Amino acid sequence: MNPIRTRVLGPTAAILAVAAIFAATAGRGGQDITRPRLEHAIAPTFANLYVQRAAILGEHDVTVASIGASATCDRGGPKVPDVGAGPNWICMITFTDDHGQRQEGKFEVQAHADATYVAGGPSKLVGLATITDTHHNDVTNPTFEFDGAFDPDS
Amino acid sequence: MTHTTTATTPTTAGQAAGHHTAGRRPGTATVLRWETAKLAAQARARYLLLGCLIAPPVIVAVFTGQQPPSDTIYGRHIHASGFADALLILAFAHQWLFPLLASLVAGDIFANEDGHGTWKTILTRSASRGQVFAAKTLTAVAFNLVALVVLAASTIAGSLLIVGTRPLPGLSGQLIPAGTALPLVAAAWATAIPPLLGFTALALLLSVLSQNPTVGVATPVVLGFVMQLLSTLGGLDLARRLLLTTGFEAWHGLFTATRFTGPISQAGAVAAGWTAICLVIGYLALRRRDITGG
Repeated sequence: MNPIRTRVLGPTAAILAVAAIFAATAGRGGQDITRPRLEHAIAPTFANLYVQRAAILGEHDVTVASIGASATCDRGGPKVPDVGAGPNWICMITFTDDHGQRQEGKFEVQAHADATYVAGGPSKLVGLATITDTHHNDVTNPTFEFDGAFDPDS
Repeated sequence: MTHTTTATTPTTAGQAAGHHTAGRRPGTATVLRWETAKLAAQARARYLLLGCLIAPPVIVAVFTGQQPPSDTIYGRHIHASGFADALLILAFAHQWLFPLLASLVAGDIFANEDGHGTWKTILTRSASRGQVFAAKTLTAVAFNLVALVVLAASTIAGSLLIVGTRPLPGLSGQLIPAGTALPLVAAAWATAIPPLLGFTALALLLSVLSQNPTVGVATPVVLGFVMQLLSTLGGLDLARRLLLTTGFEAWHGLFTATRFTGPISQAGAVAAGWTAICLVIGYLALRRRDITGG
């Protein structure tokens, strides 16, 4: 065969084949980012971090069990399906705070396509970005903003 | 086509036969030694390894005085634990460094013979094209693995020495003690091996096809960017998992309270597929090439 034709046809065929496989599989196989996965990930993560926050503040009777956190997540209001990556997820986390009060906090969640997320807590309930520990040092508030991940196959 | 003539004519003299007995073709190990010697003589290979050794501690040292880059995973914890620095650099590296690392030698190793016009010299040394292909592939793979190991070791050691070994914040809000975090961080770096080999094979293929070192080195980097861009789009799901770059983020599952390794094994299978396809096409293309035409 003509070498120039081979050199043009080969790569073109390869690119077309890759594009065809990609087009055939795009959107198949189920969603990676779903509401139950996010809810099951964010509630225990927040509880773990709230225990760390309490330890920084010197409150040692706060445990994951005493917090009893649970989450309800929604993406972009009622009209948007609750799946997929995006910055417009909201998770309402219900928990018992360090004063024994039942609270509901609105967390703004950015879900990434790689099944990780970044959540920002309401400062009214969790405090500011830095908090003062028992030795009067300013330290990062672990619940103010946090990263998490979940299993896209769970 | 010349590939049969060089393969079937046994040599009786010449340096190519080395210390082999006359009349025998040199083994692939001999060809591998030439390729390794040629690579070791290249300044770019030495500078790349030196960069992998020196750059990570410098980057970590620069980070210590900065605001945490909290838009990348583990960025917000870089002052809390050295393990977080090692993972942040891993997350940065997968965005552009790994495709470049994979292609810098592999994208050049076939095409530089075209650049220097030395194919005829190699193939008249009575080594078969298959042997040359195997030797060049093994050399590039071994070099890339060495570069990854140097980069990982330097990053982990530098991060732990500069920032310290306090517990690592996990991705489920848990704290991972240093004794558990160290093997996990090392394993996270090791999960980069399959996609790195996939990019190496891609670079080898492009090096064979393009006959141009610049194309061989630059195209995998560009394709890495394209895959990265595609993977941030929503709604791809299954197609996303077929991208080579997805394997670079499979380590996230090692740092949750309930570990999950599904993405790691999927990435291994995907990278194996890419590697096999690229190497087969590359081998066939090299066999079919008309070298006499220059």
